[in-house]
Amino acid sequence: MKKPENSLLPKWPEKLFTWICHHDQAEEIIGDLQERYHLRAQRMSPGKARNYYFKDVLAYIPSAVLKRKSSSKPTFTLYPDMINNYFKVAFRNLLRHKAFSFINIFGLAVAMSVCMLIILMLADQRSYDQFHVNKDSIYRILSKPKEASQPYATTPFPLVSTLKKEYANIDEATQLFSGVGGDAVYKQQVVEMRGFFTDPAFFTIFSYELAQGNSQNALAEPNSMVITGEVARRLFNNENPIGKTVQFTDRGLHYLQKSGKDSPPVSWGNFTITGIIADKNYKSHLAFDVLVSSASLQALYRDNKIINLTDKWEDHHQTWTYVLLDPTKTQSDLNASLQQVVRQKYTSLKEFDGFQLIGQKFSDINTDLLSNEITYRLPLMIYYFLSVLAIVIMVSACLNYTNLSVARALTRAKEIGVRKVNGAKRKDLIFQFLSESIMTALLSLLMAIILLTLIKPAFKGLWINQFLHFELESTLVVYLLFFGLALLIGIIAGVYPALHLSGFQPVYVLKNLDRMRPGKLGMRKVLSVFQFVISLFFITSSILIYKQFQHFLEFDYKFNTNNIINIELQGNDYQKVSAQLRSIPGVSAISATDIIPATGTSNGIGLRKPGTEAEFTNMWILHTDEKFIDNLQIKLLAGKHLPASGESADRFILVNESAVKELGYTHPSQIIGQTLEVNWNKEVVEVIGVVENFRYKLLLNTNEIGPLVLHNQPENFKYVNVQVAGNGLNGTISKIEDTWKNIDPIHPLKYEFFDEQLAATHQGILDVVSVIGFIAFLAITIACLGMLGMATYTAERKMKEVGIRKVLGAGNMGIMLLLSRGFLTILFISVLIGAPLSYMANNVWLQNFPNRVDFGLDILLLGSALLFTLGIVTIGSQTIRVSRTNPVDSLRMD
Amino acid sequence: MRRSDLGEFEEVVLLTVAVLTPNAYSVMIAEELESATGNTVSTGAVHAALQRLEDKGMVNSYMGEATKERGGRRKRLFTVTPAGSRILHDVRSVRESLWGRILPQALPKIDMAR
Repeated sequence: MKKPENSLLPKWPEKLFTWICHHDQAEEIIGDLQERYHLRAQRMSPGKARNYYFKDVLAYIPSAVLKRKSSSKPTFTLYPDMINNYFKVAFRNLLRHKAFSFINIFGLAVAMSVCMLIILMLADQRSYDQFHVNKDSIYRILSKPKEASQPYATTPFPLVSTLKKEYANIDEATQLFSGVGGDAVYKQQVVEMRGFFTDPAFFTIFSYELAQGNSQNALAEPNSMVITGEVARRLFNNENPIGKTVQFTDRGLHYLQKSGKDSPPVSWGNFTITGIIADKNYKSHLAFDVLVSSASLQALYRDNKIINLTDKWEDHHQTWTYVLLDPTKTQSDLNASLQQVVRQKYTSLKEFDGFQLIGQKFSDINTDLLSNEITYRLPLMIYYFLSVLAIVIMVSACLNYTNLSVARALTRAKEIGVRKVNGAKRKDLIFQFLSESIMTALLSLLMAIILLTLIKPAFKGLWINQFLHFELESTLVVYLLFFGLALLIGIIAGVYPALHLSGFQPVYVLKNLDRMRPGKLGMRKVLSVFQFVISLFFITSSILIYKQFQHFLEFDYKFNTNNIINIELQGNDYQKVSAQLRSIPGVSAISATDIIPATGTSNGIGLRKPGTEAEFTNMWILHTDEKFIDNLQIKLLAGKHLPASGESADRFILVNESAVKELGYTHPSQIIGQTLEVNWNKEVVEVIGVVENFRYKLLLNTNEIGPLVLHNQPENFKYVNVQVAGNGLNGTISKIEDTWKNIDPIHPLKYEFFDEQLAATHQGILDVVSVIGFIAFLAITIACLGMLGMATYTAERKMKEVGIRKVLGAGNMGIMLLLSRGFLTILFISVLIGAPLSYMANNVWLQNFPNRVDFGLDILLLGSALLFTLGIVTIGSQTIRVSRTNPVDSLRMD
Repeated sequence: MRRSDLGEFEEVVLLTVAVLTPNAYSVMIAEELESATGNTVSTGAVHAALQRLEDKGMVNSYMGEATKERGGRRKRLFTVTPAGSRILHDVRSVRESLWGRILPQALPKIDMAR
């Protein structure tokens, strides 16, 4: 038999068919071609055989293009049996390696719960103001003076009437005018209520329903009031409130701040209840107990009870304006109209050059935080910030999963090999490993939901939540989002291991496992370092912020707060209150003031030398009685105390050291006896004393102690400061409470301990500490879990090596060092990178912080020590276990 | 079954598969047809016919042994399915009943030994 020469045939047909055909078909066709060629070559000349060969190739092309489907058993990925098998194997794997499963599931769950919390917060935020039918065409108008960095939520009072009268774009407009806050009295029943003046258009624009009353005209008549269902029940019990008359006494309560700051009561006369807001749990940025008809304002203007702003375009601080835009018009049409208003009304006002009125989308109200905001809201920036933190944690947890799965590839290698030999395609394996990671993620989801129920109350308990009112209700949508999150995390965490593991060649993994190496540790070390750097950053940051908090708590305000109780006057006469309280045995001193220093409120005044045309020097002013500085132990540097209140007391002031400098004197004694002119009433006052600088402004706001004036004007007093002698504080307070009932039977006693009041001004920082500290805790937990996983894995792998070393005489210490050296390096590098990073990043905000602490080496050392301790404990748990094993156990089987 | 009709070439290939079973694959079928008809039959044409027959459900196929002549590649072996068998029997009975009804003088005499 003549030997056929395959080499005579060109290679291209083979390549062609391999390229265009399915694997099996190519094999078949090329085989056919060669066999036929061989057969022909035996009958005819090689040349002829070759010609036939080419004809055959051409004849094959049409059928090759048809592409026969694979005829081997279909390994259809979504085969029910296979899916069943995947889950079975996944589940067995989870159970078999309990430690690793726990690390993976717990780590992911921890991170997931934080993400879920943020989802809940966002969902909560989005649920506001959804009940308004017109929500897409409502706009709020903002004002922006040229020099302001962000707009004010408030607008000039006359804006609404101008817009309604002169602009056709605007279907309807309403305004809320602040200033309603006081007590309504009906048949001896007193209820405190806060709210706004508004007009009938309020109910056209907003979709509040009235349980009783007609929304068309409820706010049309003067002296009519619409109240909420809750207020109605408290005030009227079971009586029908509609048409009833209540007496209203205004105390100037602030619409937002729930605690005090009230002014002497002013009776506004009788009001008729014309509507009750339905009890529908309206979630809105508007919060009010009462709406008073704007028509009532006329009478109040007349009696000088409220300043008339009807034509005041200059004041844009007290009115919120909402418009309902013609549905065919856009925001830019609205802004164009507003520009026209500004051109018309503000060209004559020099100081309003560059003033702007801007339309704000209704949906943006709950995420923008502006000045004079009608409510407290978390600005969108905070959400971004929190989301970034959550993502960092999430990435860290996903890295753990990836790391451990890849590291433990060996335990799966045989399975992968067998699956491949049995015909599994790479995509089948990818699907399998992804389904495993998704399953882990879903288990984490269950755990995360449990964790979330634990975190939620803690979050709601944060100080700041009393302003933000997060309810964090879970709805179906939220649960669907959670589920989606779990799927996404499953895929993200699993994609790298899936791609990596599915790429194993069966020949290698089945034949000699020794050639399988889990890969260089390089990448994993980098990831681990990344996790620890993040952890160190959060740890040091939270320590730093906590130190800052402590620093504020221990701050020397230069006045005494010990045993001092601040009692709100609530409109009662100061003389009467102090006379009554002084008679209580435990009370050692009483003084009065209008503002509690260093709690965030301040009043200004301008002073200049009388008879000159010089600029007024801006200063802060505190209205106190003559005993104030003694009671608070503020040092008097020169001159004498304020005189007791009386005719002449108005003429004298005290100033602080800063004011002395500000007014151009070098020494306190020089200013004594000098007279100054007050900017607003041109009165002349005389400086009779100088006090040491003490903190008047909030520590958080400013470092400087500005110039301050103390003035005895009893009509401004809002608080009495009661000094309680020695111990027996509680007994004295209950006595004060009894006495208070005689002074004011209507309003319950409102008091606060001065030191606690000051501490409360920093509660916000403590919230930040809690949040950052919690994140730090999560970050370090996840990093340590990851390290624990790696240490466990290394320990398992090195069991034999350790056995052999021990047999050869290695000591426990040596072995522990051997096993932990790599991890210690990781920790060390993390500190080397993390410490300077944290130092730089934290100093960015710290440098702009008033009254700051130093970010010293001690914080970095403490943070690093914490990191090392946790890290070493983590590694130690494994290395000690391995170094103690009896070599007999690990080597017996060989 | 997409189409129940059977082309002439397909019918011959199907018959050949039946003849050559269990060793029916494109090269053998092509060789067989070539020697039976004396015309050149390309493997590709046979392959295409087999593929159509398989689509119609008249043959089954499976991958067979690899041989040296094929450069170590496997071949695809074909067998006739019950559907294939039925259509072959149908065609045959149609033809035989037609042959049986031809009158002796109807066909001009030819010399079969040519």
